[in-house]
Amino acid sequence: MNTQNQILQVESLSKIYGKGDNRTQALKGITFDVLEGEFLGIMGASGSGKTTLLNCIATMLKPTSGKIVLRGQDISGFHGGKLADYRGREIGYLFQEFELLDNLTARENITLPLALHGITAKQAEGDISALASMLDITAVLDKFPSQMSGGQKQRVAAARALISDPDIVLADEPTGALDSKNSKMLMDKLSSINIGQNKTIMMVTHDANAASYCSRILFIQDGYIFHELRRNRQAESTSAFYERIVTVMAQLGGGSANVL
Amino acid sequence: MFCKQVRRNAAKNRKGNGLFFGSLVIAIVAFYTLLSLGEQDVMRYLATIESDAVGKLMMMLPAVYAVSLFFVFFLVYFACKYQTDSRKREFGLYLMLGMKRSRLFFMLFAETLWSSLISLLTGIPIALFLTEGISLATAKIVGLGIIGHHFSFSPDAMLWTVCGFILVQLLSMLVICMNLVKAETAEFFRSGSEKKQAPLSGVRSTACFTLGTGLLIAAYYLGIFQMHSLRMAVMLAVIVCGILGTFLLYRGLGGFLGQYIRRKSPNAAGLKTFTARQVQENVLSQHKSLAISSLLLLMALSCISYGISMGFGRSGSRRSVDFSLFGTETEMNAVLEKNDIDEMVEDSYPLYLSAVKDGYDRDEEKAFDTGEFVKALRTVEDSDNIIENLHIEYVIGESSYNRILKNMGKEELKLADHETAIYTSMGNDGDFGSILTKAISGGISIGIDGVNYSIRPTLCMDNVVADRAITLYMALVVPDELFTKLASEPEAYCRNVNLKDEIVDNTGLMQAIQKMDAMLEDTGIEYDSYLGGIGRNLFYTVAASYLTIYLGVLFWLIANTVIGLKYLISQRQTKHRYETLTMLGADTPAMCRSVKKQIGIYFVLVLSTALVSSAAAIFTMFRSFTKLPVGTSVSTVALISAIALVIFAAVEIVYIGIVKRTASREVSRIEITNRR
Repeated sequence: MNTQNQILQVESLSKIYGKGDNRTQALKGITFDVLEGEFLGIMGASGSGKTTLLNCIATMLKPTSGKIVLRGQDISGFHGGKLADYRGREIGYLFQEFELLDNLTARENITLPLALHGITAKQAEGDISALASMLDITAVLDKFPSQMSGGQKQRVAAARALISDPDIVLADEPTGALDSKNSKMLMDKLSSINIGQNKTIMMVTHDANAASYCSRILFIQDGYIFHELRRNRQAESTSAFYERIVTVMAQLGGGSANVL
Repeated sequence: MFCKQVRRNAAKNRKGNGLFFGSLVIAIVAFYTLLSLGEQDVMRYLATIESDAVGKLMMMLPAVYAVSLFFVFFLVYFACKYQTDSRKREFGLYLMLGMKRSRLFFMLFAETLWSSLISLLTGIPIALFLTEGISLATAKIVGLGIIGHHFSFSPDAMLWTVCGFILVQLLSMLVICMNLVKAETAEFFRSGSEKKQAPLSGVRSTACFTLGTGLLIAAYYLGIFQMHSLRMAVMLAVIVCGILGTFLLYRGLGGFLGQYIRRKSPNAAGLKTFTARQVQENVLSQHKSLAISSLLLLMALSCISYGISMGFGRSGSRRSVDFSLFGTETEMNAVLEKNDIDEMVEDSYPLYLSAVKDGYDRDEEKAFDTGEFVKALRTVEDSDNIIENLHIEYVIGESSYNRILKNMGKEELKLADHETAIYTSMGNDGDFGSILTKAISGGISIGIDGVNYSIRPTLCMDNVVADRAITLYMALVVPDELFTKLASEPEAYCRNVNLKDEIVDNTGLMQAIQKMDAMLEDTGIEYDSYLGGIGRNLFYTVAASYLTIYLGVLFWLIANTVIGLKYLISQRQTKHRYETLTMLGADTPAMCRSVKKQIGIYFVLVLSTALVSSAAAIFTMFRSFTKLPVGTSVSTVALISAIALVIFAAVEIVYIGIVKRTASREVSRIEITNRR
């Protein structure tokens, strides 16, 4: 492995909820690296710990032990202004339910992370236009979320996650609230951003279709990483990778009832 | 178990939400204060001398009480709604755990009753304390002294307060429960109904805003420049334009703000755009509440100003004569020489007041030549009516008028040769006094029996007898010799008596006059007393100022509660936005600053319109139907207005501070770790 390209290192990460007899160990010492430009998928059954893992990286949860190092900095020690900076600049977060502020226009939503760090929409006009045309949302920039379709909303949310040019984009089931057509459109866009701009993306998903766009997938069960799938993008198509994912899910989990 | 839960929930509500509990206590205080009006010192005293008028007022109280109930309902309704909205998830959980809706509502009603009981136990002592304070203050203001004060508790007022309050509470709960009955169980688990940002068309919102502003300006113009005619059509036009204008202004304000934000947002950093959009959203979705609150504040400020000016204007006149005795010289001397009466009397003197001899008033040759006076009056605006009715029928002897002035501690007239002064006891009615003052200020003269007498450029207005009901439209204060010549009855009209100051100071005016009253009553002599005369006057003072100030304060409280709670409800419904902001890198202090700014702007939007409208309304009021008495010191009025304004501003700042603190606390509590 080329350690020069490591963007994120997760070392012996564990997370325990509750105290005493009510202790539940959601993560049991997970270790893995994310390389720059990688499109990493995290899959696993409900309660396997995949969202806990993502939330720890996103600083929504504090790990019980272990380290999360982004570009050489241990993020578990961040608080106050440094934590806000990390959330606004270092990571971009894509939510399942979009989480757009419904009283702000698309443009205002997209520029919010920049505005929070003192950059005005005017200063970022070029970036906004480029992202909007890449994500095909130029026409809705001055509309409110209530005037957009679900797909448009999620693409606006993606633009918001990307506007501050974060080191890594964390996506929590981004296709969870979309129909298959919009899911495909979103994954195509994310994939082209990942390849075209070498943007690192880490995505938690249940959806094998969405996962087939990834370059690597970690399967988590009961707080451990128990399997890993890699894809050679040049040699393997998404549909072939999809077949492999489904097969692994069936073999390892005894069918979707267990894995999903 | 059930009772325990009800008590625990009610306690949690009280502790977690001071605004809610405060609103309930305010409602109780408002009810009791109004209903115990009959027990106030001043009212009890007035009932002994003006029982009919007091009786009529007491008959009016139920109507005012009903109006209060109506408005307090909204106060309690919003407070309860805020409370139940924040507990929706808990209710949903009860339902999912198998609780019947009927049992849930029963629990809510039981909690309401329990809260009512606690609120009553807190509110009633506060109300008692407040009413005692008001009673003492009013007695002091109207000059009754506080010696005769005793603690009053009105069981009837208490009973109606309890009934009214519980009724309003249960009714509010019923309306809220009716909405909950219709809701699907899943709705209980949603954090709040997401409001869609309505894309109001620019043209429509601009039209509403412009039309609203235009109508308000029209209302101000009509009020200030046309209202003094007191024509029904004008009044109606002012009311319609004012109300419609306010509603339209707030209807269009959201769109107007939207255009402003769109212009400014490209250059905005931090949470500026978010803050502005939050305010805009609140204005868009709550434009009716904003308009209603603004109108309530307008009514509050107008009522309070009217109340203060009524109280101030009427209580401002000073007492000049305590008793006027009527009878023969011998009878009056016999009475005044009695030991116990003599001990109380400071001064007694005959009052020379008489109608003018036949001929002087009407006869062409001998008549007063008022040509110059009329000419001077013509130069003063609105004097047509006075000129038409100008006639001098009475004369007052200078020496007796000087005694009145001396007893009041004023400078004596000391008329020069061929000098007279104009007297009227109606100087405080409308513009009469000020018009006369303007007319004589230039130095004019009047012809009597072919001789010219110059008129003193100041108007005499101090009461010449004890009874204020006796009024003199216009009279001449003339030197005693001239009085003898002009008077149809040159003998003394009555004998004025003034009580010793030390007795008044020691026992209070009310007590002193009542004591003297009893002694004179025993002698059988005919007499008038100062207090008997001002009874009706006092009654108007107390009734008008008390009721209007009461309603004003009530409107004020309700307007504030509506604005504050409406904002807090909407913030709670959009709580998830703050979670998203945190994820996007906003820190808690910045979000708290944004929330505080939102609340500040939100209140300013309501207050600014209300203040501008109130300024116009108060100006209109003093121009048309309420006049401050002539001679009232402008600096005193300004001081009282300034104090009232400072109190208003201070209360607003404190209230806005409470709302800001509550909202910031909610934002500080947001933890994004709660997300899945």
